[in-house]
Amino acid sequence: MEKPSKILIIDDEEVVLDSCCQVLDGGRYQIATARDGTAGLRLAQEFGPDLVIVDLKMPGISGFEVLETLRAADPTIVAIVITGYSTVGSAVEAMKKGAFDFLPKPFTPDELRMITERGLERRRLVLETIALRRERETLRENFAAIVSHELKSPLSAVQQNLFGLVAELDDQLSEAQRGRFERLKTRIDDLLKLIQSWLRAVSVPVAKIRESFAPVSVRAPIAKAIETMQPHAVRKDIEIVESAREPLPTVLGDEGSLTEALVNLIGNAVKYTPAGGKVTVTARAEGGAVLISVADNGVGIAAEDLPLVFGDFYRGKAAAGAEAGLGLGLALTRRIVEAHDGAISVESEVGKGTTFLIRLPAPGADKQSRSQT
Amino acid sequence: MSERKQLLLIDDDPDFVEGIKSILTKAKYDVDVAYNPKDGLAALQKKRYDLLLLDIMMGRGAEGVMIARKMGRDAKLREIPVLIITGIREQIAFLFGSKTMHPHFVDVDEMLEKPVEPKFLLERVASLLELSKRKTRTK
Repeated sequence: MEKPSKILIIDDEEVVLDSCCQVLDGGRYQIATARDGTAGLRLAQEFGPDLVIVDLKMPGISGFEVLETLRAADPTIVAIVITGYSTVGSAVEAMKKGAFDFLPKPFTPDELRMITERGLERRRLVLETIALRRERETLRENFAAIVSHELKSPLSAVQQNLFGLVAELDDQLSEAQRGRFERLKTRIDDLLKLIQSWLRAVSVPVAKIRESFAPVSVRAPIAKAIETMQPHAVRKDIEIVESAREPLPTVLGDEGSLTEALVNLIGNAVKYTPAGGKVTVTARAEGGAVLISVADNGVGIAAEDLPLVFGDFYRGKAAAGAEAGLGLGLALTRRIVEAHDGAISVESEVGKGTTFLIRLPAPGADKQSRSQT
Repeated sequence: MSERKQLLLIDDDPDFVEGIKSILTKAKYDVDVAYNPKDGLAALQKKRYDLLLLDIMMGRGAEGVMIARKMGRDAKLREIPVLIITGIREQIAFLFGSKTMHPHFVDVDEMLEKPVEPKFLLERVASLLELSKRKTRTK
């Protein structure tokens, strides 16, 4: 049998608390009550409720504050607010602040039972989603570890043994035989590289990146990424233009992995742009975020392919002739951006070019001007 | 001419061992091999080695780390330089930048990733032997 769900009811009116308890009683729930917001919040900590029913209008700290504090401490808590009649406005306000639903006074026992059941159902779904997501992450990481050991180890052993053979046979090898060994080595190297980058893409440890978070300006990773890709661009006669002149707020992030994300984007732009083309990297502040875009005037991505580009192993068709990639760069980039609580999007038109846009939250930025997204 | 340097290689993959061993033997080092941590520790107790080449992932997990730790606690074995050769450097490097430190926080002298190019292997072995020679001399 499952544990009974825990419900915390916060209301300053004794009569409301009593009737709620009566309606919901019957052994199915474990119920706790508090007469004001402060007591309610304290109780919430030790009681660990699944569902909180809170009156918006109370003396002392308001239901809104209780709601915000609760949700900040644990966003998985489901909250239902009780509102006075004819105060739809405050109900809407509460929903915006994260309340799951509202119950206008006066309410019938059935209304209370129904909304409670729905709230608890929501709580179950939220917890289940979290559990599934965690399981998926674990699977992903375990799988990466298995692939690492089961594929990489034997290949490394083969390669090492090959090195050993060449060393042993050294003076007895003809030029042609030496060449064959060289080619074998290259083939195995390629395979090892493939496994390596695949591993990286699936196992970028999000939590680990976060550990090294510090306030950084995005200028440094942009400059480094451009510097890294510049030789490739020059070889293909492609110009990389940077325009990030206005002052930018700092973001909370890991410079190394941000650089890597940008190297991937700029590298892609260079790869999928014909000779003589141009890659433009811009950064600007917008609302509480920094926006970095990498735009090219290259071959573009077909509309039907756009939803796939951030998945593992996606590789642009038009890359024919260019050096083959592994189709992992964008997947890795997306994971890095998401580790920064950011978002990445892409716009493209075949024959015209592609623009990748990274949005990173900048906590220090002026929150007033947050755009309405 | 000084006598030949004594190296010990601890790794549980026989094919990998062959590959490393023949490169080192060809370069005129004496190489002993242990295929598990237990035999490896026994060998370390029995003979004085100039350098240990150590694999990390052996047996049921990162058993190589245990060896490095035990060596760190032993006044005599502590002096032997350790070259870690591991298949999981990639993950380690990503987590710890360029620090030559194992994720289980064992200080090591050097770390190489499998497979190791002969030229690279010989360079590292030579420089570690040189380093330990200087360390002993300054004592």
